[in-house]
Amino acid sequence: MIISAASRDNSPRLAIVRVGIALGLLFLMVNLFHVQIMDRDRYGDREQAQSLRRIRLPAARGEIVDRNGVVLANNRPSYDIAISLDQLGRVSKRQDVARIAETNILAMSRAIGLPVTVTDENIRNHYYRRRPLPLPLWRDLPAATVAAFEERAGNWPGTDLIVTPVRQYPYASLAAHLLGYCGKAEQTEDEEVENFYYYQSDSTGKQGVERAFDDDLRGAPGGHTIRVNPSGMKVGEVGDKPAERGNRIVLTIDVRIQQIVENALAHTVLPAGKKLCGAVVVIDPRNGEILALASAPTFDPNVSVVPLLNATGSPLLNHATGARYAPGSTFKPVTLLAGLESGKVSASDTAVCGGGLQIGNRRFGCWNTHGHGRMDAFTAMMQSCDVWFYQEGMRAGVEAITRMAGELGLGQSASVDFAHDLAGGVPTPEWKREHFNEKWWESDTAQLAIGQSYLLATPLQMANVAATLGNGGTRWRPFAVKQIESPDGKTLQITQPVVLSRLSVRSQNLAVVRQAMLGAVQSAQGTGHHAAVRGLTVAGKTGTAEFNKKDGINRAWFIGFAPFEQPVVAVAVLIEDGVSGGHVAAPVAGQIFAGIFKSSLETTGGGPIYVD
Amino acid sequence: MSISRQLQQLKRMDWLLTVAVVLLAIGSVAFIYSASYRGPGQPMPDYYRMQIGWFVVGAVLYVAAAVVDYRWICQWATVWYVVAVLLLLLVLFTGMKVYGARRWLGWHGFGIQPSEVAKLAVLVALSYYLFHRTLEMRRQWATIGGALAILAVPLVLIFAQPDLGSAVILTLVTVGLLFVAGVRVKHLVVLVVAGVLAMPVMWLRMREYQKARLTVFLDPDRDPLGAGWNLNQSLIAVGSGGFGGKGYLQGTQNLLGYLPRTVAPNDFLFSVIAEEKGFVGSVCVVGLFAVILFRGLRIAAEARDRLGMLLATGIVGLLFFHVFVNIGMTIGLLPVKGLPLPLLSYGGSFVLATMTALGLLQNVWIHRRNY
Repeated sequence: MIISAASRDNSPRLAIVRVGIALGLLFLMVNLFHVQIMDRDRYGDREQAQSLRRIRLPAARGEIVDRNGVVLANNRPSYDIAISLDQLGRVSKRQDVARIAETNILAMSRAIGLPVTVTDENIRNHYYRRRPLPLPLWRDLPAATVAAFEERAGNWPGTDLIVTPVRQYPYASLAAHLLGYCGKAEQTEDEEVENFYYYQSDSTGKQGVERAFDDDLRGAPGGHTIRVNPSGMKVGEVGDKPAERGNRIVLTIDVRIQQIVENALAHTVLPAGKKLCGAVVVIDPRNGEILALASAPTFDPNVSVVPLLNATGSPLLNHATGARYAPGSTFKPVTLLAGLESGKVSASDTAVCGGGLQIGNRRFGCWNTHGHGRMDAFTAMMQSCDVWFYQEGMRAGVEAITRMAGELGLGQSASVDFAHDLAGGVPTPEWKREHFNEKWWESDTAQLAIGQSYLLATPLQMANVAATLGNGGTRWRPFAVKQIESPDGKTLQITQPVVLSRLSVRSQNLAVVRQAMLGAVQSAQGTGHHAAVRGLTVAGKTGTAEFNKKDGINRAWFIGFAPFEQPVVAVAVLIEDGVSGGHVAAPVAGQIFAGIFKSSLETTGGGPIYVD
Repeated sequence: MSISRQLQQLKRMDWLLTVAVVLLAIGSVAFIYSASYRGPGQPMPDYYRMQIGWFVVGAVLYVAAAVVDYRWICQWATVWYVVAVLLLLLVLFTGMKVYGARRWLGWHGFGIQPSEVAKLAVLVALSYYLFHRTLEMRRQWATIGGALAILAVPLVLIFAQPDLGSAVILTLVTVGLLFVAGVRVKHLVVLVVAGVLAMPVMWLRMREYQKARLTVFLDPDRDPLGAGWNLNQSLIAVGSGGFGGKGYLQGTQNLLGYLPRTVAPNDFLFSVIAEEKGFVGSVCVVGLFAVILFRGLRIAAEARDRLGMLLATGIVGLLFFHVFVNIGMTIGLLPVKGLPLPLLSYGGSFVLATMTALGLLQNVWIHRRNY
């Protein structure tokens, strides 16, 4: 045996071992400190990133109702059959999931009698990318199919009936251009998509009120946070924020009037071979509320609009706000008012119409080539004599006419709330020089006086011209959304009518114009006589603007208001290829007036009338 | 000596060391429970109960290894050594294949790992051999050669399993023993340089998965879903534990299975503790090991003879390298190796081997210089 002294000889080496071990443990502690304290957040984030998944829950869109609460847009449940690969994965082996899913889908397809819609690849993609979400197999099933599925659902593990909201328009195409339509939302708009691992998109408004008030209608998406295991299988729920339903939009539209308008427009009498394309706007002249707005051809927003995007006749285009036309003779009240205000024109001025007028070295015809004979302001308006307006328009001067047109809102967007309405255009000498590098001739003024030349306006603008003349000179901002309510019925916002301007005209001058417009409808010789309604005093003006002389295409117009004494509706009717304002547009307006005032006419026998 | 007389000697053991061992054993069972926990009401493997059983048997071995004089035990070194080599040969030909390696000898669901037995047997053999060599200048190379010869046979067999981790640790412990035995530093340097030069040969002999582990260690994100997975997930578990941890049974990395369930209770139990108890837990674990290691070195210094000193130092070295490599592995400091953490990781053979080794450490203390 070796004596104990031997170990003592080695104690320096033991001391070195002791230091080595101490350094080793210290090294571990320093690194643990680094990982657990210094880098804690980094690893914490990685831990969350790999095990937490946020699923976006789309919100149900808010309702759109008319002024009386009649629902024009809401949501209906769509019954979809979906398969949860996540649940399948829990009961079977990973590599078997796709096979089992396919077998079940095939069996279901036979049982409910619908063809299989998902491919093997769809299933695999879904399994790898969107596992915690159900994979929809058949969407929007009829009740009988749903019942057939429910009966046997137990046979197919992992399958489920899910209910998703689908936008629905109970009145189909009614007011389609005003309401607009919905489409699948693009993900990137104003939401951070990266926040959600699984993005379930909702629909977004693509036109009209649906688009302009999308922020109100869409509500707030909810979020659903789940924890997943390394295979991506859901193992638990971490948090939930329910989606909030969108707000309710109350329109100024009255479904009854809208139906009358669309019916009248649809029954426009056109010669054979001409396709109906046009627009009608009905405004309350007392505040600018749009009571009805129709555009033809129309579409059904319940059905996908994709095939219509490039269709002939532009069914998706709102012709009332998105298209510009020469107003033709419907501009004559503006010319007359401008002339009277300029002081250079008097209602008693006369002109002898022989079917045309020589201006410079060119002759300008009247629509009545036989000539109207001796005319004054009232008869010229009544029979829409061009010669009188050439003469008086030139007398008033281009400046007075364009100023009055501007005061009545032409040449500028009315900035309605539901669409980007076009500004149209009022030509001036400066404008002509700029665009054509040409002098403004007297004949240009004459053409402007009868609403031709380069003058362009939308039906909405012309309806507002009628409303402004009708109500005594107050130009209201036209609007379609009356108020916004929360889903539980609390009023959030009420649209206050906005006065855009008040005409700076003498009341006797305006009275002359209104009186002349009354004659144009009420008088048996008036060009707008077809807009007259027994028992109602309608004032208005027709217009037939030449668009393409060769093909004989005319813009047929009628603008007017009723009742004359206290107007409660102002109307503009435009038919794109409408032959004649008096024969095509005025009867449409007549039907509309008759429809709107029908009930009150029956009860009051034609006395002063008040709707609403 | 009667058995009761022998047990009387236990009063003289190092109680602080025993307390540290008991605390780690309690922690082991508690966190193996957590590592196999699947959520309320979910069925879970009962590793923790098995581990209690191993510790009960281990306690018996601890006491037995403590009271029978180590000098008597070491006289039988050749027998232990031969038995260990035979077991290693047996496992190589009849062992169960787990994850491509033959490390287990099993009978009807009950298995032992001969490499754990071999580590202890080699340690005893080397201590006994070096204790009998007088380290005169002229014969130093002969002593080193003898030690390497003792090491070589089990090393080759362990390397063939393959169990790279155990092979490396055994080599390190041998070098450490030569160092404390008094071999000249010059000679040791030559030895280490020779070993480093032999590395490329080792690399060629390594299996593909071993190479993958070593390369992934250098860049864990290189193959995050393959070989880098364990390393990445372990780092995330330890790091996201933060200062105070997520709470017992609350470690999501472990609970959800990001930390693979096959390794969480054994090789990666430290990650579970670090995730659920945070830096505080890490300090406690390393602190308890520090108690054991430094008490062990004190025992080596106070040993009655060179044999006791060498044996105690070897045991301390064995434990230290396991602790260092295992914890280093969980935080990405060292390549991922299938090396368990002493006293904490789940595993029968290793618990029994560790308890026996600690018992021997107490043995050297009980029979120290002044008694």
